[in-house]
Amino acid sequence: MLLSLMIFIPLLGMITVLLLPRESEELVKRVALLFTLIPLALAVALFVSYDRSIAGTQYVVNVPWIEAFNIQYHIGIDGLSVTLLLLTALLGPICVIASWRNIEKGIKAYMALFLLLETGMLGFFAALDLFLFYVFFELTLLPMYFLIGVWGGPRREYAAIKFFLYTLFGSVLMLVAMIAVYLNSGASGARTFDIPTLITLAATEGHALNDLNFQIWVFLGFFIGFAVKVPIFPFHTWLPDAHVEAPTAISVILAGILLKMGTYGLVRVNMAMFPQGMDFFCNGTGTWGNSLAILGFINIVYGSFCALAQTDFKKLVAYSSIGHMGFVILGLAARNTEGVTGALLQMFNHGVISGMLFLLVGVLYDRAHHREINGFGGLGAKMPIYTGITTLAFMASLGLPGLSGFVGEALSLLGAYDKFKMLTILSTIGIVVGAAYFLWTLQRVFLGTLNPKYEALPEINGREILTLAPLGILTIVLGIWPNFAIDMFRESVTNLISVLEAI
Amino acid sequence: MVIPLISLILLCPLAAFAIFGLLGLAKRSFPRQDYLSTAAMLIALGCSLLLLQEVVPDPEPHTLKWLSLGSVTFSMGFYLDSVTAIMLIVVTLVSSLVHIFSMGYMHGDPRYPRFFAFLSLFSFSMLFLVVSDNLLGIYIGWELVGLCSYLLIGFWFEKDSAANACKKAFLTTRVGDVGMFIGMMMLFTKFDTLSLYGEGGIFAQAASQLNTGDMVWLSVAGVLIFCGAVGKSAQVPLHTWLPDAMEGPTPVSALIHAATMVAAGVYLTARMFPILTETSSLVIAYVGGITAIVAATIAIVRFDIKRVLAYSTVSQLGYMMLGIGAGSYVAGLFHLTTHAFFKALLFLGSGSVIHAFHAMHAHAHDDEHGHGDDDAHAHEHDGNHASEHVIGSEIPPDQDMRNMGGLRHKMPITFLTMLIATLSISGVPFIFSGFWSKDAILGGVLGRAMEWNSVHHYLLFGIALFAAGITAFYMFRLIFMTFFGEPRNQEMHDMAHESPKTMTVPLIVLAVLSFPVVNTLWFNADYVTPPEQAHLHAPEHAYVSPDSKVGEAGLPFSLFGISEAVAAEEAGHDTHGAHADDAHHGHHGPAHTIAMVLSIIVAGLGILLSWLFYHKRSLSAASVATTFRPIYNVLWHKYYFDEFYDGVLVALTVWKSRLFAQFDGTIVDGIVNGVGKVTRDFLAVFVGVFDNRIVDGLVNQVAQVTWSIGGRVRRIQTGAIQTYLFVVLAGIVLLILIFRAL
Repeated sequence: MLLSLMIFIPLLGMITVLLLPRESEELVKRVALLFTLIPLALAVALFVSYDRSIAGTQYVVNVPWIEAFNIQYHIGIDGLSVTLLLLTALLGPICVIASWRNIEKGIKAYMALFLLLETGMLGFFAALDLFLFYVFFELTLLPMYFLIGVWGGPRREYAAIKFFLYTLFGSVLMLVAMIAVYLNSGASGARTFDIPTLITLAATEGHALNDLNFQIWVFLGFFIGFAVKVPIFPFHTWLPDAHVEAPTAISVILAGILLKMGTYGLVRVNMAMFPQGMDFFCNGTGTWGNSLAILGFINIVYGSFCALAQTDFKKLVAYSSIGHMGFVILGLAARNTEGVTGALLQMFNHGVISGMLFLLVGVLYDRAHHREINGFGGLGAKMPIYTGITTLAFMASLGLPGLSGFVGEALSLLGAYDKFKMLTILSTIGIVVGAAYFLWTLQRVFLGTLNPKYEALPEINGREILTLAPLGILTIVLGIWPNFAIDMFRESVTNLISVLEAI
Repeated sequence: MVIPLISLILLCPLAAFAIFGLLGLAKRSFPRQDYLSTAAMLIALGCSLLLLQEVVPDPEPHTLKWLSLGSVTFSMGFYLDSVTAIMLIVVTLVSSLVHIFSMGYMHGDPRYPRFFAFLSLFSFSMLFLVVSDNLLGIYIGWELVGLCSYLLIGFWFEKDSAANACKKAFLTTRVGDVGMFIGMMMLFTKFDTLSLYGEGGIFAQAASQLNTGDMVWLSVAGVLIFCGAVGKSAQVPLHTWLPDAMEGPTPVSALIHAATMVAAGVYLTARMFPILTETSSLVIAYVGGITAIVAATIAIVRFDIKRVLAYSTVSQLGYMMLGIGAGSYVAGLFHLTTHAFFKALLFLGSGSVIHAFHAMHAHAHDDEHGHGDDDAHAHEHDGNHASEHVIGSEIPPDQDMRNMGGLRHKMPITFLTMLIATLSISGVPFIFSGFWSKDAILGGVLGRAMEWNSVHHYLLFGIALFAAGITAFYMFRLIFMTFFGEPRNQEMHDMAHESPKTMTVPLIVLAVLSFPVVNTLWFNADYVTPPEQAHLHAPEHAYVSPDSKVGEAGLPFSLFGISEAVAAEEAGHDTHGAHADDAHHGHHGPAHTIAMVLSIIVAGLGILLSWLFYHKRSLSAASVATTFRPIYNVLWHKYYFDEFYDGVLVALTVWKSRLFAQFDGTIVDGIVNGVGKVTRDFLAVFVGVFDNRIVDGLVNQVAQVTWSIGGRVRRIQTGAIQTYLFVVLAGIVLLILIFRAL
């Protein structure tokens, strides 16, 4: 019940917002905030009451929905999803607050869409029925399309359509794979979309789902669907455009949650359901045995080098996301405890850190109305607190030990080294380049003599600090004591690894 | 008592920083951050002294599970042996003195509180590094000191040179750190732990599990870990960041870039001593030896007082590495300690000189301020003065030794204390600590050379000896140019004055520490004993025939021509290695006597030449420079390392990144857009038929796509969205109802 409430309260919020008069903008914002704060409160309750000692799903609700196709409203969370669910609930109110002043038109529609988006994301992470999973996956797509396409920057429509088509392209393949899985899951009438059931079936010797060839093909179908979301090279080019055009809060959601939907899907479906297919692509032997790790490596190095060349602050952060998601892919490809734990941690931490980065870019953009890195200079003297927080976020993102980014990155690499020595060593290039682009940006924006144009730039204000502080604190706390996160998924990871090793 | 004391040592400086950070978020600051930070450091110093009594031989680490992930556990913990205890005292003592010195030196800086907060953060990180019992903890401390170094080098970030220098420092050391991280991954994959000590630790496992076939692997791992030290301790070829780091305030140079952080690399290498093999040791020794000579020769031709000291630091760090690489574990660490004191003293002394000239600027340019000290330092980051005095030089005038001279009368305390440090670093015999520690290294290298009859070690000894002579030369050059002779810049000279007590007292304390009396811990042979090296225990691999020499099993041994030593080891005699290096109880007394005599001679020669060149002036430096113009040019350009890095490596990286970005924008995205365009044109024919008919909620999205593809949605209106949302909502409700009914 807790989980269902969490998922649908934002939807209720959307209805409420839509019923409010268009003129009362303050009221709209407050209502929207309220309806994102309730899921956050529920998330806190969930964080407290979540049983960390079991690997299976909790807070399960399983009622028939579309009985004709044996589709259930089956939700629940386990270690693989819980942290992302909490992250979504946390970023919700932060994004509403971040949108408080800088959404100039149609705040009502904006907030309504945002709330719908939140329902989609929360539902996606909780869904345990493949059909439901797909519905929520698609449910995030449309609000996002409008949020970028209406409230975005100058090239918003191009970016929105590109985002939409790209994702749709992926999800069509995913849909096909899903239907194939459904049709092969049993005889007519006994077919199912239920994820736990499918996992059991896929592990049953002799079952159609257990067939290696079948697994490879459906793996590919799902993989491309998720790869677009992650995004994995070469499906990534929607990301820089979408980020650059999207308003600040939407960029935060995009980087913080939407990218994680891709990697989460890889874990939930590709790894857990098709361990043989997974094995085919990352067992280190044969033509395809290194392919997933190679994609991770390409993401890391390619993303980092592209980021180094950017002069648009936001585009730089966008490309850095591509690089950082590469560590997740690399960790997952390792299929061992360190690698998968690292990947899950990195997913959560990247959500927090990239959220901070986009909020910070937004703070600067709201003041200077441009994002050209070379157009600033010396802001450190003018905005010491802003500079301090940015330094923290940059350091966290470039993997400074003591901050959260390091732990996930290091564990992913440690895990990957065990399986893919050369690729892992080559991937460490990304660590140096990552430091290079962040430090270079830090220098160009904050160090040196103050650009006289920005003599009067006001320091970061209380509202903005409010959005950044929780994320900053999380970055530090999880850097020092990552167990707060790891405790929640340790058992599930152990369980997943045993499934992967059982084949 | 160990755990509470160590915790207190760590928490005090951390708290001092945390208070600054938290108040800063609320746009406030603690009124006396300087007192707060200094007090924290003094408490840490007190605790470190108390800890001396807690040292036991072969201690167990105190650990705590940090991360446990199913099958693997990462622990964090403290390890307190005699080396840790001594390092703790060195760090807290130098740090305390630098804190006190900074109260005078940084007085009046607009970011005065921040400076102390950063010093606190640095001290915490450094101490964490020192007490950690595992590689992960060391790595965390390692990167955090790097961050602090970055923040403090760039403390006056308005200066472009400082902004460049801090970035360079961070990135250069990170290159080394990546090597270190790869080494850690190798060790972790083999041993499933990153803890060094205790039963399941890396050292115990390496000693018990590895056989000779693993030695190549272990050598590679050792060299990779050493890469981290190459970056942090500014060894060739990653040394170029350290001289640039002199852009930071001088107390920072003394604390971070002379006494502690840069020595962390040496400390790490010493900590790794048990898993160093013959091969990796030799690599370390060569890197150290080459660094010692390269940096020393560059120092000869520098005019910036701080750069001379920076190159001197690089050179001395090379010495320490050489010592450890040659198996002289105790000597390397001993030199680390003595160097920490005398080099911190030299830097603080140079700071005192710079400070004296600053006051001049304050008086000369800003008469309305009654006392020069008040805002003297606001000027230090104001680089405009450079061009006024030395045209065509980047050296700030107050750091240029060509503007100095005759200062010994003006600044007697600074002069005397710096002279003591110079005598110590130059290796003036018997009464100065530097002599003993340097001699321990030289003796150790020569001892190993004689014992193994190894050409490599003879060569390294020669290099080290030569570098010792040069060290004496350039250090006395500094003293003569700064404190002797006639003032070269009368205006600046007239304004110079002795520094306030907050600055001179630390100088005096450090001068006392430059005498061997306080370094007795190292002379007590039982107090610090070198750990045994794992490769000495490695049993033969099963498939190596019993007759064959162990040295041939691991190819690099014989490659480096030292297989006799290994063969001797095979016989089971501890003829060399672990215990042989001790300065006073070693097996090669003659080596030490020879080294001592030779080092006294070269030091004397160096000082004599320096005196002839820079004091008596019977020899002319200028004419020598002209005669050996090509050599002089190479030295002046620092062997062209920077030119190579900036012109080739950095340029290549930036070029590559542009290439990638262009590839991304034109090729990858071009394909995407191309596909999109083709699809749109192709589909446009079909969609016209469908678009109006598709209203079903389930396929609503498909409709949207076809709409957009068909170019029907020209402008997305917010009004339309609300309608859309209601449709979606209605669709969802309908879906639920209808399908439930089915």
